[in-house]
Amino acid sequence: MKLVDHTKYLLEICEKVDRDIASPTCKKLREHLAKCPDCAAYYDSLKKTIFLYRNYDVKLKGSHVEEILTKLELEGPLEIKLPSLQSLRKKHPR
Amino acid sequence: MDDDTALIASSKAGDKRAFGKLVKKYEQMVYSFAFKICRDPEKAEEVLQETFINAYRGIKSFSGKSKFSTWLYRIVTNNCLMMHRKKSHEPVVSLDETELLKETGELQVAHWGETPHDAILNKELKEVLDKAIENLPLDYRIVFVMRDVEGLSTQEVGNALNLSVPAVKSRLHRARLFLRNELDPYFRK
Ligand SMILES: [Zn+2]
Repeated sequence: MKLVDHTKYLLEICEKVDRDIASPTCKKLREHLAKCPDCAAYYDSLKKTIFLYRNYDVKLKGSHVEEILTKLELEGPLEIKLPSLQSLRKKHPR
Repeated sequence: MDDDTALIASSKAGDKRAFGKLVKKYEQMVYSFAFKICRDPEKAEEVLQETFINAYRGIKSFSGKSKFSTWLYRIVTNNCLMMHRKKSHEPVVSLDETELLKETGELQVAHWGETPHDAILNKELKEVLDKAIENLPLDYRIVFVMRDVEGLSTQEVGNALNLSVPAVKSRLHRARLFLRNELDPYFRK
C-alpha cells in the first residue's frame, strides 16, 4: 500500500468515524480496515477520542434559577441585540 | 404549542416566572456545554448566568426558526468567546490536515490500550483530556463539542455558528485529528 493511498483512507476514516461507517457506501473502507492494522488502529484511536470526551460530563451543583431571576428583577426589562459570532470575529481577529 | 413555545411567548411578554421555568429546564445543558468549552467549573457557572440574562434580554429576537436549545448554544458560544479573549491568547498550533496526518502516515500507528468504559473517568485522565482540548483553538473546540460531544447535526452547528456545512465539517475533521494526536502519547501501549 502506497503511503498516499493510506492517507486517503485515514482521511476517510476521520470523515466517517463513529457515524456512518456501517453504511453500504463505506464498504471499501471497512474492507481496508479489516486488512490494514495501521488504519484499524487509527480508526480505533479516533473512536476512543470521541468516546472519552462524550463521557466526560459535569453536573451543576445547585440551581441558578433564583439567582438569575433576582438579577433580572434588579435590572428590569431591557433589550439588547446579541452580537453575531461573525461580527465578534471581525472586531477581534485572531 | 409545546411547552417551550408557550413559555417563550410568556417570557416575551415579560413573565419572569415563565422564563424561570426555561432556565430550570435548560440550565444543566447550558452549564455542561459551557464547561466543555471553558474547561473550568467556575467560569462555566459565570457563563451560565450571563447566558440566561442575555437570553432574557434578547428573547424578543428569538424567532422560533431554530430550536430554543440551538439559540442558547449560540449565546453560550458568544459568552465563552468573549471571556476567552479577556484572558490570554491561544497557543499556536498547526491544524493543517497533512501536518496532522504526517507522522501517522510515515510511522506505524500505535495501538491504544483500553480506555475506561464506565461513566466515571479518574482525575488523572480528566486532566489529560482537559489539557489536550485546551490546546485546541476555541473555534475548533466549539465545533467538536457541539457536533461530537453534544450530538448536534452539522446543519445545527452551522446555524448556531454562522458557518457553512463544509466549514463545519472541515473544522470537525481537524479538531478530531488534533485531539487524537494530543491523546496519543497517553494511550499508546
Ligand atoms: Zn491503511
